[in-house]
Amino acid sequence: MEVSVETYDLREAVDQALLECAEAGKAVAVVVADSTSTAALKGFSERFPERLINVGIAEQNMVGIAAGLSLGGFTVFTANAAPFLLSRSYEQVKNDLCYSHSNVKMLGLNAGVAYGPLGSTHHILDDISMLRGLGNLQIFAPSDAREAAELVRYVCSFDGPAYIRMDKGPYPLFHSPDYRFKVGKPDPIYRSAPSTPEVVFFSLGTILEEAYSAARILSEKGIITALYSLPSIRPLQHADLLEKIAGTRLIVTVEEHSVHGGLGALISGLIHEAGMSIPVFKVGFPEGIFVKAGPRAEIRDFYGLTGPRIVEVLEERWKEGEMNDRWNR
Amino acid sequence: MQYPIPPNPFQYTADQLAAAAKRVRRNIILMNSTTGAGHTGADLSEADILVTLYFSVLRYDRALDHPFRDRFILSKGHGAGGFYCTLSEAALIPKELLSTYQAFDSSLQGHPVKQKIKAVEINTGALGHGFPVAVGLALAAKMNRRPGRIFVLLGDGELQEGSNWEAAMSASRFGLDNLMVVVDRNKLQLADRTEHIMGLEPLQAKFEAFGFRVYTADGNDITSLLQCLDTWEATRKDQPSVLLASTVKGKGVSFMEDNPAWHHRIPKGVEVEQALKELE
Repeated sequence: MEVSVETYDLREAVDQALLECAEAGKAVAVVVADSTSTAALKGFSERFPERLINVGIAEQNMVGIAAGLSLGGFTVFTANAAPFLLSRSYEQVKNDLCYSHSNVKMLGLNAGVAYGPLGSTHHILDDISMLRGLGNLQIFAPSDAREAAELVRYVCSFDGPAYIRMDKGPYPLFHSPDYRFKVGKPDPIYRSAPSTPEVVFFSLGTILEEAYSAARILSEKGIITALYSLPSIRPLQHADLLEKIAGTRLIVTVEEHSVHGGLGALISGLIHEAGMSIPVFKVGFPEGIFVKAGPRAEIRDFYGLTGPRIVEVLEERWKEGEMNDRWNR
Repeated sequence: MQYPIPPNPFQYTADQLAAAAKRVRRNIILMNSTTGAGHTGADLSEADILVTLYFSVLRYDRALDHPFRDRFILSKGHGAGGFYCTLSEAALIPKELLSTYQAFDSSLQGHPVKQKIKAVEINTGALGHGFPVAVGLALAAKMNRRPGRIFVLLGDGELQEGSNWEAAMSASRFGLDNLMVVVDRNKLQLADRTEHIMGLEPLQAKFEAFGFRVYTADGNDITSLLQCLDTWEATRKDQPSVLLASTVKGKGVSFMEDNPAWHHRIPKGVEVEQALKELE
């Protein structure tokens, strides 16, 4: 499909979907930790003001109260900045939500380096990695507003904990209005030719626009590419994913996350376990660092997370023969 | 339709409660010594509080699914042994389960697990978790206009966790007069006396400053506990309440009483015999 030039804020879509769910009779409650403006849930909070609970700057309490509200019959969403949600209240997330299987859905707002210049206190490079260590939890990352809305509808459909890696600001729409989220499946976004792709891209969340740009640049250079978004980190149907890479020569994973424990690690692990030998080029933040602070676009550029930079680095590596024989032959 | 509020299924008198507490204590000694597991001191400390709640104060149906039932959370999850023995006395779990305490994949794990036992609302064990969850439950009851009350039992050492004070602030802000926080104030924690490690006093003034109505009782005296909880029920309004229950860790067994060594020691051989004799 061609990407729509239309852009839309993921949070507006979430607000709308929450409002719809609540108006359809679902007992939805939202808990924020002084993060009402971060959450931007205007529609919901105007229609159901008594169901938006602000616990103040107290993330541990926010998660505990969310668990309690779910025991009292509510489908609960927490909505605050992902770095504070997870770094501050990881034990509440682990015990009160995951271990206790509470019906609480966490909206991890402004994940990755969305808070660019505000620095490492406000970045979260390891949310997926942290959460993959927890039982019972379903983990999602929407790539655009339509998918975010679909994910809200989906997480409302089951009883149990979930995490949705969120972002703010307008992003291009990669999905048509009739898009339906399919749990556990890679979501096909782009394919430069019908034959087996030489390079397959997998992308996590809103960085999809950069992965898309890289795939397009490569295809213009005559390389057959395919691009999948992976909105469903857990559950994930492994066989379905492996099917998409059969016969390909290189896999590129793109995430605004550490390459440790994120999408790249997940996929290279699956490939290794399946006995396949396809090189995986992991685009993301290197392991063991705090990233430099600054405007988000400049951070992405510096660490090679933009479409042109992904292609640039790939081409350098090919020139230097760093990729394996299969590719260079 | 409007359901009637379920009454406490036992409605024991003070004498019956004292007798039940003694049976619970004997079971704690037997269970811990047989299985070689448990936090004996903590289990004995809380026994009178739990028996008072389950056999007199809490309103619940035996199936534990009435929408208006009271809810109880054991925030001091390491007191699981005392909790299990109370639940067994109330026939909320089968007695036979006690011999499986802490065995592989047993329903009676070292800390309570809701997937294993219906009476467990939330999986506790890490400290400082029960209070915020109880606030959420009490808030939900208010939002849904349900009459059920929420009780949470905290260890006193646990109050060193900051999350409790976040919860206290919000309980007061939300006007949760359906919330009763009981503190098992035995003045001992794992390593030593609470006041030697990280003093909690003046505890009453702290809770008052956080907007709580504060009750104090002898937490090993059933009449004293009942009196406080009755007064609370008759007068609760607009504010959350806390009951500072002065207890003795290891209560009922002379050589365990107020002795930090019995936080998680298990009685053996003659110790078991002597303990059971004292609890006759």
